[in-house]
Amino acid sequence: MDDKKEIIKNFKLFIRSAFDFKENSMYHIKKEAYDEMDNFMLLCFGDMLGIPVPTSYYMLELLPYLAEDFEGWERRIMARKSVYGDRWGDFCC
Amino acid sequence: MNKLVFFGGKGGVGKTTSSSAYAYYCAEKGEKTLLVSTDPAHSLCDIFERKIGSKIIELKENLFSLEIDPEEESQAYINNIKKNMKDIVSPVIVKEIERQLDAAAVSPGSDESAVFDKLMEIIIDYEKDYDRIVIDTAPTGHTLRLLSLPELLGGWMDRLIEKRMKAMELYEMATREDKKMKNVIERDPVLSKLNERKRKMEQAREILTDGDLVSFVFVLNPEKLPIEETKKAVDTLEKYKIHVNTLIINRILPDNVEGKFWENRKKLENKYLKEIEEYFSNKNLIKIPLIDEDVKIDNLKHISKYFGEISD
Repeated sequence: MDDKKEIIKNFKLFIRSAFDFKENSMYHIKKEAYDEMDNFMLLCFGDMLGIPVPTSYYMLELLPYLAEDFEGWERRIMARKSVYGDRWGDFCC
Repeated sequence: MNKLVFFGGKGGVGKTTSSSAYAYYCAEKGEKTLLVSTDPAHSLCDIFERKIGSKIIELKENLFSLEIDPEEESQAYINNIKKNMKDIVSPVIVKEIERQLDAAAVSPGSDESAVFDKLMEIIIDYEKDYDRIVIDTAPTGHTLRLLSLPELLGGWMDRLIEKRMKAMELYEMATREDKKMKNVIERDPVLSKLNERKRKMEQAREILTDGDLVSFVFVLNPEKLPIEETKKAVDTLEKYKIHVNTLIINRILPDNVEGKFWENRKKLENKYLKEIEEYFSNKNLIKIPLIDEDVKIDNLKHISKYFGEISD
């Protein structure tokens, strides 16, 4: 009996995610992707925001490839200062 | 002594004199010798009374030399990045980033990284062309940081590569591309640069910890502070798997000193000599006397005779 319940539960979950646009799982994945990218950039260029990073000299050669998103990155990192501001977005929008 | 010989020590103990004398000794023996200085004080030029720059010059038969200029090296690195950028990024952003790059060139740590890169490049490029490469390093602190770079950065590189791959995977999922994830990661220029850098660090680490390729000689004076610093430095290098086998005790007073003042100093010196012999009993000790004039290329020959004691 438990097996059947499990299958039905998974089926419902599948239908919900596949057809419920409000759920918007893509949004969450996108946000996580951006966060990971931002974290990576933080490890590379943290010293420009005052966080001492030992490899900063070697990270400079990555700048040409990451330069385009630099402004956006700085903006998003600064926005992280407020924990509420960051997480509120998850819940309301 | 192995093919690559590093000379380290506290500032002012006579590293440059010792490394120059040793290089002279090797050249006299018929070994094609390259003497490299990473010391920002440019003392090598003062001893040989020649202008020594970043291009290899011949000082005398079998003896070649060059000095690594950190500013020149980091400038070249930055300029190369700027050149790359023009092909990849729009002109508006280029201006912004060029500002960042210029500021970064003068930040602490960039000098040491620049010197390290050039030193490794020299070792890799010229190892086959010379019988001996003698490296005069900057005062202890700088040198320790320099030599520990591969060990320290290795971990960072791994972490960065891991992070980048994870980020790219997520990004792929988020943008729902049809292309396979593997392809995009393979073509990511950031990852390839990081992997290249990691490879270079590993190569450097292999070279520096190769007990059959590298010898590390520490220079000290028979005085309290140099001895203490040497003890700490040897321990630290040991941790990075770099073994110090030889110590040069420089500026030893002559035996026939006159006057109460000098007799006292000689007594003190003997005490320190004994301490060095006891503490570093498992190392080769070379004693070089204090000479009564400035060290120039003329009396290098005289000092170089003391290296005859080391077995090759």
